[in-house]
Amino acid sequence: MVQARELSAPRRRAARTGAGRRYVPRWRVLAVFLLPALLLYSVFIVYPLVSALDYSFFEWRGIRQVGFAGFDNYRDLLGIYPYDEQLWRAFAHNALFFAGTMLIQTTVGLLFALLLFRYGRGKRFLQGAFTTPYLVDPLVVGYLWSLLLNPMFGPVNALLEAVGLDSWALPWLGDTRTALPIVVLVNAWQWVGFPMLLFSAALAGIPAEYHEAARVDGASAWQAFRRVTLPLLTPAIGVVSVLTFIGNFNAFGLVYAMSGSTGSPAGSTDVLGLLFYRVAFVEGGVEAIGRSSALAVLMFVFIFGVSMLATSYFRRRERKLV
Amino acid sequence: MKRRWIAGAIGVLAVALAACAPGGGASGGASDGGDKADAGKVTLSLWSWRVEDVKAYEKILATFEESHPKIHVEFKPFQATEYNNILATGLSGSGGPDVAQLRAYGGLQPLVEADQLLPLDGKVDALSGFDAKLLEGAKGHKDGKIYGVPFAYQTLQVLYNKKLFGDNGIQPPATWDEMIAAAKKLKAAGITPFAVAAGPDATWTLPIVHEIFGNARYGGTAFRDAVLGGQKKFTDPDFTASVKLVKDLEPYFPKDVVAVKIPDVQALFATGKAAMYPTGTFDLAPLLKADPSLEIGVFQVPPPPGSPETTPVTPGWADGSFGVNAKSAHQAEALELVKWMATPEFGQLYATELKQLSAVPGVTPSDPLLAEMAKNYAANGAPYTLLVDFRYGQPNGDAVFRDELQKMLAGQTGPEAAAESVQKGIEQWFKPGN
Amino acid sequence: MRAGRRAPGRVAVHLLLWGYAVVALLPLVIMVLNSLRPTGEIFTAPLGLPASPTLHSYRQVWTEASFSTYFLNSLTVTCGAVLLGTVVSALAAYPLARYDFFGNRVLGAYFLAGLMLPIRLGLVPIFYLMDSMGLIDSLLGLTLLYAASGVPFCVFVLSAFYRSLPGELDEAARIDGAGEFRIFGRIMLPLVRPALASVMLFQFVPLWHEFLYPLVLLRSDEKFTIPRGLSQFFGEYTTDWSALFAGLVLATAPLFVLFVLATKQIIAGLTAGMSK
Repeated sequence: MVQARELSAPRRRAARTGAGRRYVPRWRVLAVFLLPALLLYSVFIVYPLVSALDYSFFEWRGIRQVGFAGFDNYRDLLGIYPYDEQLWRAFAHNALFFAGTMLIQTTVGLLFALLLFRYGRGKRFLQGAFTTPYLVDPLVVGYLWSLLLNPMFGPVNALLEAVGLDSWALPWLGDTRTALPIVVLVNAWQWVGFPMLLFSAALAGIPAEYHEAARVDGASAWQAFRRVTLPLLTPAIGVVSVLTFIGNFNAFGLVYAMSGSTGSPAGSTDVLGLLFYRVAFVEGGVEAIGRSSALAVLMFVFIFGVSMLATSYFRRRERKLV
Repeated sequence: MKRRWIAGAIGVLAVALAACAPGGGASGGASDGGDKADAGKVTLSLWSWRVEDVKAYEKILATFEESHPKIHVEFKPFQATEYNNILATGLSGSGGPDVAQLRAYGGLQPLVEADQLLPLDGKVDALSGFDAKLLEGAKGHKDGKIYGVPFAYQTLQVLYNKKLFGDNGIQPPATWDEMIAAAKKLKAAGITPFAVAAGPDATWTLPIVHEIFGNARYGGTAFRDAVLGGQKKFTDPDFTASVKLVKDLEPYFPKDVVAVKIPDVQALFATGKAAMYPTGTFDLAPLLKADPSLEIGVFQVPPPPGSPETTPVTPGWADGSFGVNAKSAHQAEALELVKWMATPEFGQLYATELKQLSAVPGVTPSDPLLAEMAKNYAANGAPYTLLVDFRYGQPNGDAVFRDELQKMLAGQTGPEAAAESVQKGIEQWFKPGN
Repeated sequence: MRAGRRAPGRVAVHLLLWGYAVVALLPLVIMVLNSLRPTGEIFTAPLGLPASPTLHSYRQVWTEASFSTYFLNSLTVTCGAVLLGTVVSALAAYPLARYDFFGNRVLGAYFLAGLMLPIRLGLVPIFYLMDSMGLIDSLLGLTLLYAASGVPFCVFVLSAFYRSLPGELDEAARIDGAGEFRIFGRIMLPLVRPALASVMLFQFVPLWHEFLYPLVLLRSDEKFTIPRGLSQFFGEYTTDWSALFAGLVLATAPLFVLFVLATKQIIAGLTAGMSK
């Protein structure tokens, strides 16, 4: 996370970091490093997933492949009611889901990391407590929050009514306006420990001299954060953004637990992961394999494209650092 | 070229890992050894999605093993939500089932069309005595062959809490207006009249609720035949009116019904906070298990005003069947098992142990409530048409309808638009007159 | 003057952090409390304090669901997979981050791509692959699959960490005549130790909960992992909510132990690695 030691000569130093000019190895060295992972990953993940993508170009009868279908499965997916409508609706929800999660999870994670950075007693406990929701299975998390938010028996509404905020006691997960924001909040609540830990690690890596130098220059706390801390967190922010993006566009477990396979209520929480699940497993019928694979290809192309753009953007930012 | 590279990689990796994994390779031989000890005895693997029925099936199968000493049956249940895929892959790989519980109607077709099941025509004689309506659920849609022995059927009626009815001076209603009057009275007394859920886990029950209240209104079997024949569509005013009934009844459902889940309404009904529970026979056993002291009665919904049908209509469908894996190594023994599953001996055991309605002809349920429900269905039965006839293509008729009904209850669509969506959905694949 | 102005701010910080800690721990508290209440009580009031706490449900889960077997299987599979996955990824991420060679970027993208597909997609081909290798109903098969599934995430995060280490480190070592593996093992690997701990933790948790693949790939009861075994148990006792919660507590408890150990590692690693 740290490139240079002195603020005075940052550029010269930055040219010599890991992100700069690099060593060219012999191929045998390279093979020892890379082959084990490549083998394991190619055989058990890439090979099956590529086969599954290949399935999208075939016609299926249950689990039997009957012939080449060209782009028929894609045409069905984009043309058959109600998939044509659900696809775009789910896509829009994923985008909102990502934007919301990113906004809340990253800012709150960063805030907690900063507040805990110089925190005294109880720091470890707090870090642990904030990360514990992550340890619980998303399906269970969704189920527990549904209990808490239940309009009939749930304590959230009981509490609101007890303090006289009756008009705030909404049906939460049963209201098309509040359901998606609630799912986003719960998701951010579950994951906030991840950016917090990564940012804490990155903060710990920023040498104290930087802050001192900024203070000597007469910078306010905000300026110091804006000019020194934030730029140095760029690699960590990059990692968090890309992983959150990928995770959110593949979201399934938590949404399924809170909104069922149809994205209740009235499809207001439907996301691509649920649509895939429905097409592939719930109501796919004899053509399920072809159509669901086509959907997965579309998702993959989009997620991969955006992730590549994002990674190269953050790489450039890293290089320009300081 | 690429294939060979991958195969080579797999080989290297497998050898390397097998060498260093403690005891990893020893697992394969164990079961073979066990078989030899019991010379000539065949072990059949029976797959099911009924995890909750393990104990009952073990008891039922013990009876089979008594009369078939050469066969041992191993009951293997899987999570219901993932069962379809597990079965589809299991049937095509090693270590799959010999006999498997099969979904009915549309859900059966992927297995049939992939040639994974053994046709039972001419192999299980007793099937000729089965109700033709129930056999429909175990047939290949295209080839018309029978692929399973139906085990149960479900029927939809309204369960009611006898004590609450008594306390409020209410009789099981004979007319629609009586039912509405009863609902009003109960609501005024602070009791939820109808335990209906429309939450995330309950969307599939919404078409069921519609069936219970609206089947007579849209015209039951006659309407279904007209739609199949192409004379009518789901946009028919009678069908739209039946959809509207669900919206009209909403005041008598729990508050914020779109947020209410199935366990919530079960709790409401089981604890006497809700008086009527429109549901199917499938819910009876879990309800009684949760509270055996609950006094439950049952009634059929009287035809709503304006209905083409003047007597109550009781919807139902075949639940599923047991079929034989086309690749089974023990097909003769597997056939023995499914043949036995077509006998009254199995039917009676099934009905008693699982509190369900057996599909075997002549079996009467021992539970008086179930017997009453069976009698109602026998007298006024009609198919739950969106499930029975409109799951043979995508989107499924009941899948579109379930989303639309929830939208309607959330105030985002109306009965006409909901009916139009159903018609539009099934038109993607359904051609009338076949 | 200055301290006085900051005091209310400090109180607000304490309140915020400890208040949020309560919200973060809430569901766990509910799980534990409900596991101590009989089912009838949960059925009528899903949330509440146990009137008379009982450990009956734990006994039931432990014995009737042969939990100890599942536990051992889960531990073997998950630990094996996390170790294998992390070792191969720590090796692979290094050259991607610090060497300049033809195809570097493409290889990085290749590794990342695995993260972007719903893992459920591969169900059918993975089943066939395992079947052809004789790895159906085998814990080894599951371990290999799990290990491989962690590779993309690990490689991505670890290469970001390797990249952020100062360039002088390996250059200096190279001038001193150290071999590449020595540089990697003696200098680089110790420096990314905190990242290794986090990466292992973040792999461990989803694998520990994974239930779809054990459901499809495992057949015999004695090989079941905790989620596979519990899904069976929950199915058999659908209405027994108390047992369900007890099962969830038992299934999650090992993660807490691990987590407490891991945070210690992460923080120890942070101070050791970063204060230089």
